[in-house]
Amino acid sequence: MPRPALRSRSMRRTKKKLPRGLTVLRYSKPKPGHTVCAICKSKLHGVPRELPYRVAKLPKTKRVPERPFGGHLCSKCSRKAVKSSIYKVSS
Amino acid sequence: MSVLEVGRVCIKTAGREAGKLCVVVKDVDDSFVLVTGPKSMTRVKRRKCNIAHLEPLEVKLPIKSDAPDSEVEAELKKTDVLKKYALPLFAGHHREVPRGYIPKHAEKKHVEETHEEKPKKEPKEEKPAEKKKTEHKEKPKTAAKPAAKKVTKKPAAKKPTIKKPAEKKATKKPASKK
Repeated sequence: MPRPALRSRSMRRTKKKLPRGLTVLRYSKPKPGHTVCAICKSKLHGVPRELPYRVAKLPKTKRVPERPFGGHLCSKCSRKAVKSSIYKVSS
Repeated sequence: MSVLEVGRVCIKTAGREAGKLCVVVKDVDDSFVLVTGPKSMTRVKRRKCNIAHLEPLEVKLPIKSDAPDSEVEAELKKTDVLKKYALPLFAGHHREVPRGYIPKHAEKKHVEETHEEKPKKEPKEEKPAEKKKTEHKEKPKTAAKPAAKKVTKKPAAKKPTIKKPAEKKATKKPASKK
């Protein structure tokens, strides 16, 4: 029997073969869902779908797009945000 | 020939420099243009840029094509474009404009909020201040009665009446228990 924390069916299971011929179950936490644009709810590109401890190990430039609102808005919506704020000033 | 003329002031809409001001310096292509902030003022590097990533403004600077950054900077300082287009969403992106700067079109909302908050606080502060004054006045009244004549008599008369019943009860209770 695995320990109680691993008995939950929400844990991911993979079968691994040891060099001596035994097959063993390995447990891992599920990946988080896709990050999503705050306005149009589409999937964001350039944002890794990994557990937070894995994301922290990545270089800073690969965690989130470098543009303003990167990781919160998609590229289309962030362009609209810039343009609409320009029109507010000029009108 | 591209659509944007030399000297046209634009705002970038895509990439890491989105929301920042830049000036068109040279035509490169049908769809490309050489652009600079200059970097010392608006943090936009001198580089080639697609026209689709630029939003043109009404301002145009008198510049020759392929002008150096120093000339562009001198012309930009004559205008007030930098302060006018300090976008509230992208605030603090120009070095000329301080970080907490709020442009005029965004100021009105903040003023209205502060006016509403002030009157709520004031009445709360006044009440405790009045009570303290009455307490301080009581001591001189008992010592010199002729000095406090008209206004301060009422609070002085009430308080001793409240104290007396409390003292009587305290003396009665132990007597009844025995």
